[in-house]
Amino acid sequence: MSSFLLLAAEGLEPFTGEPSALVRSSWIIVVLPLLSAAVIAAFGRLMPMKGAEVGIGTLAVMWVMALGVGWETFTNPVYFYENSLAWAPLGGGITLELGMLVDGLTGMMLVLVTTVSLMVHVYSREYMHGEERFTYFYAMLSLFTFSMLVLVLANNTLQGVVGWELVGLCSYLLIGFYWQEKSNADAANKAFLTTKFADVGLIVGVIILSSGVGSLGGEFAETPFNLTLTNQAAVAGALPEFAIVAGMLFIFLGCVAKSGQMPLHVWLPDAMAGPTPVSALIHAATMVTAGIFLIARLYPVLAQSLTVMNIVAVVGVITLFLGGLVALVQDDIKKVLAYSTVSQLGYMMAALGVGSYTAGVFHLFTHGFFKALLFLGSGSLIHAVHSNNMSDMGGLRKYMPHTFWTFVVGSLALAGFPLTAGFFSKDEVLVGAGIWSDNGLVMGDVVFWVGLAGALVTTFYMARAIFLIFFGEHRGAHHDEHGHDGHDGDDAHAPEPTTVVDEQGVERPVPAGGAGGGGDHHGDPHESGRQILVPLVALALLSFPVGFSGGFLWTNVGGSEAMNFETWTATEVIDHAQYPFLADYEPWGEVVDGEFVKPASDDHGGDGATGEGEEASAAPLASGVNAAPLAAAAEDGGVSNHVLHGAPTFHLEVFVPALLAFIIGVGGAFAIYGRGRPERDPTLHMGGFTTLLERKYYLDDIGYAAVVVPVRDHLARWTSDSSNDGRYAIDKLVAGVGTLTKRLSLSTYRTLDQKVIDGGVNGAALSAAWWSERLKRIQSGDVQRYAGALVAGTVVLVLVIAANA
Amino acid sequence: MSGQEIVFILIGLGTAASAILTVTSKNLVHAALFLATTLAGIGAEFLVLRADFLAWVQIVVYVGAIAVLFLFGLMLTNAPIGREALDSQNKPLGLAVSVSMFAVLMTLMVDAYGGMRQPLDSQPRIADIGDAIFSTWVFPFELVSLLLLAALVGAIMISRREDGESGDREAPSVIEMGEPPSTEVETGADTGTELEASGGQQ
Amino acid sequence: MSPLAPLALSTFLFCTGLYGVMARRNSVLVLMSVELMLNAVNINLVAFQGLFYPGDINVSGQVLALFVIAVAAAEVGVGLAIVLNMFRNRASVNVDDVDLMRW
Repeated sequence: MSSFLLLAAEGLEPFTGEPSALVRSSWIIVVLPLLSAAVIAAFGRLMPMKGAEVGIGTLAVMWVMALGVGWETFTNPVYFYENSLAWAPLGGGITLELGMLVDGLTGMMLVLVTTVSLMVHVYSREYMHGEERFTYFYAMLSLFTFSMLVLVLANNTLQGVVGWELVGLCSYLLIGFYWQEKSNADAANKAFLTTKFADVGLIVGVIILSSGVGSLGGEFAETPFNLTLTNQAAVAGALPEFAIVAGMLFIFLGCVAKSGQMPLHVWLPDAMAGPTPVSALIHAATMVTAGIFLIARLYPVLAQSLTVMNIVAVVGVITLFLGGLVALVQDDIKKVLAYSTVSQLGYMMAALGVGSYTAGVFHLFTHGFFKALLFLGSGSLIHAVHSNNMSDMGGLRKYMPHTFWTFVVGSLALAGFPLTAGFFSKDEVLVGAGIWSDNGLVMGDVVFWVGLAGALVTTFYMARAIFLIFFGEHRGAHHDEHGHDGHDGDDAHAPEPTTVVDEQGVERPVPAGGAGGGGDHHGDPHESGRQILVPLVALALLSFPVGFSGGFLWTNVGGSEAMNFETWTATEVIDHAQYPFLADYEPWGEVVDGEFVKPASDDHGGDGATGEGEEASAAPLASGVNAAPLAAAAEDGGVSNHVLHGAPTFHLEVFVPALLAFIIGVGGAFAIYGRGRPERDPTLHMGGFTTLLERKYYLDDIGYAAVVVPVRDHLARWTSDSSNDGRYAIDKLVAGVGTLTKRLSLSTYRTLDQKVIDGGVNGAALSAAWWSERLKRIQSGDVQRYAGALVAGTVVLVLVIAANA
Repeated sequence: MSGQEIVFILIGLGTAASAILTVTSKNLVHAALFLATTLAGIGAEFLVLRADFLAWVQIVVYVGAIAVLFLFGLMLTNAPIGREALDSQNKPLGLAVSVSMFAVLMTLMVDAYGGMRQPLDSQPRIADIGDAIFSTWVFPFELVSLLLLAALVGAIMISRREDGESGDREAPSVIEMGEPPSTEVETGADTGTELEASGGQQ
Repeated sequence: MSPLAPLALSTFLFCTGLYGVMARRNSVLVLMSVELMLNAVNINLVAFQGLFYPGDINVSGQVLALFVIAVAAAEVGVGLAIVLNMFRNRASVNVDDVDLMRW
């Protein structure tokens, strides 16, 4: 593999200025959607737009603020602002923090989340118009945005976990929006349970990692969950290896499910049962990227272990390729996009696994935009033809031109057509893989070639989709069963609807003639309304510029070398992070007495290649140093020990294969589908291979047989039996205790109560009666005797007194 | 041993003897008459002790009125004439108690006053007694007169017959027929009390 | 004179009266015995007055004895009235028969 040339960027000076008021108050961006969700939930029904105005308004404000934060972090590279309040001491000396961390990565995620969320909010006004639970939908959207932002702005892993779980919850609620149909409820359950299963790993990993951090003492032991401290400890090489490997592996387990890596991706396609705006927001741009985001946040820790990185890369590679393959046999447009998402997430994960931090994050950023665009566009299509299936579409180019060209733009971006955002980001991934392989690590090669193959597959299925949907003859005039686009489920059939939502989204009652009459309302499909189209157009337009900041043409279009995507998302720690398993590793900074001490010297990532000149062999190149260009080092198979690779440059050896893949893919798809005959789809006629793909590699079946059946049928029944059934030990034990108690109480009653206590009490009474029986005879009524007694007593008294006197 | 003392002792012996006969006589009327003699003996003693007025008051009131009253009482309550057992079952107790009382008291007195000799020759005049009564003792005097009034009225009230007549009714016929008092509950109008008499001994 | 003589007599009469109160069955005889006791007391009073307080202006002993006589008279009157009543109600003056206030 030929080496890659890199332009050495200017030294990355960490931002030492004063954060602006906007950044300091960026927690408001997080809290606003929570408030808006509460307001919508409480008052939404009373408002004229049923809560949508609150949601859209709030998001517009947030979007502006997020843009401000993004701009500030972009123009001040290696930005860093952290603020937290010690919320509660957890005991054991640990303090629970509630805080925010604003750096470039945060700014980027803020821009992404708020932009896509705003687009989805606007889109949903028309898409979900007339829906009974419209207000609930908007409240949930706001709540979801809040949850995601909690994760994005978290400055410690615990808070991140909180946001993670909240996001999972909101996704469950939103996927199961049409819960009346059992398959939709099942899909929501599947999503929730799969991610929850992996969340165990996440939490265990967080705990292991924090215990590793806490073992360093001092401020590390006080707030071991803090991200900055964790990364600093990792970069200083001070974290114990067990914490790194075990912690990151478990955390990665959580990310596997959340970010749809194989084999825990199974929930993502089923999650298409939710409304399309939900899919766009959650499953394209935000929630599924949470896993990638977390790994990116903890990247310095990940970078300490080659094992973990390899595992990450392997999982990513498998996902990206196999996920893409399944998309070839899907008829449901949303499923195509879902598997495409799975595949692209695999790209991001693979990028992170081969040391391309910037590339992975960059792809996350761009993918968010164009996948959201694609999902929204598919929503527009579904809205028009009232069916998810591509076999019901066709020839829609004539009827829905705007949807058409925005969808095409999105697909081009996804496929990596030159100059689109996807092109630059996918390029970055491959370049990063190449650099990794230059370091002698074979995983780089694997990712590079599989990534290329994946690009080919991606292009192919997207082209297939486009040709099937927009070209040829419209096949939808015969549809008559799907009257409601509410059930966007896989093969889900709604019960015979009593109302029908037509193109304008207005609910109308189905005429009494039944199913057949439904067709009359939907003649030819027509273009969707403005509120659907505007977000589409906006996202389409964005699909170009968002990619430039990270691409190699940035400087050509007026960007500066010192401010590009890489500098935007860099942090000081990442800038100096090095891979311990590569040559000439030197930890940056050290942990002394529980405090992180930066190295005194000014040169960033100071190791071998200082200004004195490079060594001949294995001269690592600092990204921030005014070192000689890599050209010299390249002949030596120069390696880069640093995480950041510097500003991206043009690589012909990547560009050409990618372009070839694109052309082959489009050409092949056109050849097969161009004339719009889906029945001749060869992917559906590949026999066993098709079955394998259609059955999604039997992962669902394996999961069902291996997990669901044993737990649900056997484990649950055994547990219930052993506690409830009287034949089992537990019940016997309980019954035995009961019998013993009864016997004990009976004996207590008989002896203690009746004989002793009652005997005592009765005996007292009886003795009183006995004595009284005898003593009463004193009162004989005989007065003379009384007198005698009186006198006798007197005599006695006198005697006594006389004796004593 | 002065003559006064000797006389006193002699009269005292007689009084004591008649007193003993009072309480031991089996004949009710004899007992009452012996009482009278005892009282008279006491009156004589008063004279020896130079309490003239008191002696005559004693004779007048006690012997003259009270002893007669007793005889009347005996008569009205159908005292049996003749001998009969008049001692109750408490006789041993009474004997024991009185004897021990006597012993104790005598011991005390001998211990206190044994061997003393005092002259007893003052004789307060009646006028002095009258003065004392109406000066120092006027309040008790008045009270006693009230007491006498109350006793008078009370005695009449208590012994009145319910229907207002007195002395006309005869004793209950049960006695005349010689039957012992019954143990039945008698709830007659003139009794007004519950009767639960045990069998009397005749 | 020695005080012992009147005291002894007084004590003897008193105890005899006491015996009579306890040992006699007839209520009237009981009353008689009570009179005996009171008289014994009178002797005591007068004796002491004469022996130990001869110069007493108040002549306390004799006056008190007077009072005792008066009260004894009253008491006998009332007592006999009660006995009469008892006789009327129960046809018996036996003290043994008056034992309703018993257990």
